[in-house]
Amino acid sequence: MNAAALIARDELRLMRRNRVAVIASALLVLLTLVAVASSWSHQRGIEDLRARHQHAAERAFDAQPDRHPHRMVHYGTFIFRPLGALATFDPGVDAFTGNSMFLEGHQQNTANFGDVNQSTLLIRFGQLTPAFVLQTVAPLLLIFLGYGAIARETERGTLRVLMMQGATRGAIVRGKLRALGMVALLVALPAFLGLVVLTATSGAAILPTAAIVLGYGTWLLLWVTVIVLVSASACRSRDALLTLVAIWAVSVVLLPRVAPDAASVAVPLKNRLQTEVAIARDLRRLGDAHDPDDPHFSAFKRSVLQRYGVTRVEDLPVNYKGLLAIEGERITSALFDRYSGASHAAQETQNAMVRAVGVVSPAIALRSLSMAAAGTDFAAHRGFLEQAEAYRYDLVQRLNRMQADGVTYADDTATDAGADRRKRVGARNWEAMPDFTYHAPGGTALAARALPGLFVILGWLGLAAALLAFATRRMGERR
Amino acid sequence: MTEALTPILIDDLAVTYGNHQVLAGLSLSAPAGSVTALLGGNGAGKSTTLSALLGFVKASSGRVSVCGIDPRTAPDEARRHIAYLPENVALYEHLTAVENAQYLLALSGGKQDRAAIAAAFAAAGLQERGWDQRLGAFSKGMRQKVAIAVALLREVPVLLLDEPTSGLDPRATADFNALVLAVRGRGTAVLMVTHDLLGAAHISDRICFLECGRIVQDVAAQGPERFDVRALHARFAAPAKGLAA
Repeated sequence: MNAAALIARDELRLMRRNRVAVIASALLVLLTLVAVASSWSHQRGIEDLRARHQHAAERAFDAQPDRHPHRMVHYGTFIFRPLGALATFDPGVDAFTGNSMFLEGHQQNTANFGDVNQSTLLIRFGQLTPAFVLQTVAPLLLIFLGYGAIARETERGTLRVLMMQGATRGAIVRGKLRALGMVALLVALPAFLGLVVLTATSGAAILPTAAIVLGYGTWLLLWVTVIVLVSASACRSRDALLTLVAIWAVSVVLLPRVAPDAASVAVPLKNRLQTEVAIARDLRRLGDAHDPDDPHFSAFKRSVLQRYGVTRVEDLPVNYKGLLAIEGERITSALFDRYSGASHAAQETQNAMVRAVGVVSPAIALRSLSMAAAGTDFAAHRGFLEQAEAYRYDLVQRLNRMQADGVTYADDTATDAGADRRKRVGARNWEAMPDFTYHAPGGTALAARALPGLFVILGWLGLAAALLAFATRRMGERR
Repeated sequence: MTEALTPILIDDLAVTYGNHQVLAGLSLSAPAGSVTALLGGNGAGKSTTLSALLGFVKASSGRVSVCGIDPRTAPDEARRHIAYLPENVALYEHLTAVENAQYLLALSGGKQDRAAIAAAFAAAGLQERGWDQRLGAFSKGMRQKVAIAVALLREVPVLLLDEPTSGLDPRATADFNALVLAVRGRGTAVLMVTHDLLGAAHISDRICFLECGRIVQDVAAQGPERFDVRALHARFAAPAKGLAA
């Protein structure tokens, strides 16, 4: 057995004989197992609930009786975003954004204008997930087990004893890295195994899983390296411990909280009320379809009459009110798209700022990587919103088109006793409407989105390794 | 004796910590099978001399050699020839005496079988009931015996001792001195840094007084009385002539 292996074996023996270390390690492994199990159970519950509600909403829509199409526009429908299998590992922004949307005409509902950007990187102390355990708790355990790895040897004089026995500085450092690395592996193993089982049983893509395993493996390796680096540089164990806890507090707790707050201040978002007031104001400016003198709708009417070669709306082969609804929806949707686009752009700017801070805080980079690979980041949420909006627009316009083609203008404007019945279209039309299908990003796309975070963590690992190599050369020298 | 055959050889060694010159032209050699005591006041440079031999400090000038190896350029190689006992023996408290020996010997490639370790412990005077006890409850004397046993098992040609008897009771000191003489008898060159003039006079073949980073008096043992302890004490107690106190 070489010197590094002997030193690693002794370091692990020291940990095994330290009751507190054994209990802490066992608790963390247990915590990881509980996190995997509870997160899996929680996500399954959410998934089942959403599937049930989605089915119920579709059934309710399909089961509507004969109705006027515009009534169905306002009746609307609910859609739910199905979660990917890896959301069990890292639910990301899901808990903050919500994934159900009520789709109706003239409105873009739910989280389109929500203050979602902070949620992308919030520390989720309330959620016990494997990602949280590995991101936040595991480094703490590694710190408490490893802070004295070399500082203790320096302090007690055993470092020179090791060197006197022929162990080189490099062998000592490699031995300590190996021992702490094995502890990190022990801690991560339940989460990684859970992830692999999850991937295998759910048919999830392999690439995002590989990105998560690689990212968290690098993250823990980075902590192992930093811990040994600080331990090798400190003269006393206590100094090493304080330094490492400070590094943990700043990089894992403080920066990931402060960065989104700073981004929110730098790029403020309008709140829901402000947005709704602004949209209402713009809607008034766009025009009123019921006002015969409204310039926009007067022009629209002229163009329709001209297109069909008639002089009165009553002579049109289609229901003018249906065409008016199509035009109205087009205009309001464009307006909503403009606002949601501006909001998304602002949120993206905020996220870009936070990602920039990730260069100095690998914890932020890891969270970005983790959520991106799990398909639970802001980009994935935005993708859902865009698909939902596309579906809503298509559904509403189909209903508007149904009004234009299936209900005559005369019936639509009639007010006699039987008019209401004549305005209705058959219930079978609702069943013919396509259901919402969420197209989740592919495995390659998710893995590609995780790459920038991985590169940042790898960069940090390289830097820490270089500093450790420098510190190793000075170990044992008189200071 | 050639340089390669001289276990300890220091020639005109100078060591500086910042602006403070600790060693200034120190020259010293110790042949195999000898005990050399290095005496001097606090800050005279005794421990720095040991550190230079161990390759833990860089000399600004001069030469250091351990069995012909320069610890400045090949510290790991030089340390393979040295056993070192600091003033406070540092061993692993979470390990038993046997485990300590096994671990350290495994690192140095020495004998690790229990029989050899038991024989070394017996030779070092460590009582058998302590062999499988963790070192947390060991006295300084018992720890020293473990460390000496490891040194014996390593069979290295050089033994460096830093204040080995400080804090030991008279009985433990006598045991330790006997052990050092036994080590010397095996052909080991022993260099001992100490304040204990009487102890040094009892076991040393040579006593060197270190003052201001250089040896100011080098006395070899002669005749049945070996050393004129009274004269040595007068020299030892005299005020230092220099700046590097």
